[in-house]
Amino acid sequence: MDVKKIELVVPPRPPHFVGDGFRVHNFIPSSFRLTMERMSPFILLDYNSKFHFPPSEKPKGVGVHPHRGFETVTIAYKGRVAHHDSAGGGGIIGEGGVQWMTAASGVLHKEYHEEGFSKTGGDFQMVQLWVNLPAKYKMTAPKYQALDPKDINAHTLPDNAGRIEVIAGQYKDVRGAASTFTPMHLFNAKLAQDATADFAFPAHYNTALLVIEGEVTVNGEEKAPTDHFVLFENEGESFHIKADREAVVLILSGEPINEPIAAQGPFVMNTREELAQAIEDFNLGKFGYLED
Amino acid sequence: MLRNFRTYLANQWGLPKEAIDQLCAQINTKQVDKEGFLLKSGEICPLTFFVEKGLLRMYALNEKGKEDILQFAPENWLVSDRGSVYFNEPSDYYIDAIENTTVVLLDQGFMERISDLGPSFRKLNERLLHNHIRHLNKRVKLLLGASAETRYLNFIKLHPDVLLRVPQWMVASYLGIAPESLSRVRRALAKKNFKPGQRLS
Repeated sequence: MDVKKIELVVPPRPPHFVGDGFRVHNFIPSSFRLTMERMSPFILLDYNSKFHFPPSEKPKGVGVHPHRGFETVTIAYKGRVAHHDSAGGGGIIGEGGVQWMTAASGVLHKEYHEEGFSKTGGDFQMVQLWVNLPAKYKMTAPKYQALDPKDINAHTLPDNAGRIEVIAGQYKDVRGAASTFTPMHLFNAKLAQDATADFAFPAHYNTALLVIEGEVTVNGEEKAPTDHFVLFENEGESFHIKADREAVVLILSGEPINEPIAAQGPFVMNTREELAQAIEDFNLGKFGYLED
Repeated sequence: MLRNFRTYLANQWGLPKEAIDQLCAQINTKQVDKEGFLLKSGEICPLTFFVEKGLLRMYALNEKGKEDILQFAPENWLVSDRGSVYFNEPSDYYIDAIENTTVVLLDQGFMERISDLGPSFRKLNERLLHNHIRHLNKRVKLLLGASAETRYLNFIKLHPDVLLRVPQWMVASYLGIAPESLSRVRRALAKKNFKPGQRLS
């Protein structure tokens, strides 16, 4: 297997607020070269790097908004988020948990800091990833997959070097619990200092990592500090990372969906006409109703 | 650069590329950050703003000190206090940015340059002015006599994507209804149109 080389190391962009509860660095699609087409099936990555929210009686967050045409994956590293949707669903994403929401034909939802967390305040750290759906699944019924920490399978590295938590896809002998519509892999590599882990994905998969904690060296040559994003070339299959200090690294790799993308705000479709339809459906209440 | 403005000149004014190049060489643009102002009450408004990218609103403060929104101006819209521009008098209105916005600044000189391109342009300008009056009359009619639902249904035809870009209270202000009334209208529409668990449209 050939080595998969680094194409780009991307520092975090200046943060902005989504609502008043998510202070995020956007990597996909606004960073240099990290367009939806280049990163497909990953079409958005917002990273709330570790940020201390002071106590608040009124939970901070983002109010009612729609989604159609893709999936949102929320990975909670610190803090807790409560969510509700127009189909009557809801829940809490706690530390170490993942929520995989297939918006597909459409949901209205809202996301706030969970009440208890909001009252005490504390460190908040999350990733929200949008995963595109192929045209044939864009208008299917919405669904959720809620993964508590106990649901997340892990491959244990030898010699107490750490573990690779598999959210979706497969790492060595371990399969992730989340089902996906197209082939992809999503892992959290939790590595002890000086530990090394190796990864292999098909060359044409779009592959990247985000350093959540610590600092790593990739392929023995390039350092990736905390909160930095590493994009790999679409050549070669395998790479390895070494934790220069105790590290948590989000690894993502997926088969690109080679279809046209028409995106506006919270809708990601294939054509402008489908976007206009999504907007009209939202305006006419076809996504349901949810009180702010 | 200025793709929307160039398309506007080509489609609305029927200008050829050379004339567009010439006009664009003489215009200025401005970036205004979210919540930044282009006009404040009491100032004379010398300009008309064409929104190249972003979203503006024009509003007045009412007797209770609340904002009454007269107009939203997303991409490809013009916004100005025409009274202040034409009569050179202090404005009663504010124009500010709801999103980070790029505007093309159109002054009297621009209007003269475009009118000098031929008599047909004066006619076209007159037509645009009358279209504006027609739009305002329709808006007054809706505000005087239409139900909250009719106002809302007209609004989403005129501005399909604005509800996705502004808080609901701003849309309620534009419609001249209480935010609770807008919620009630949207809830009633959802009750009629939402089919849970089914494929949409």
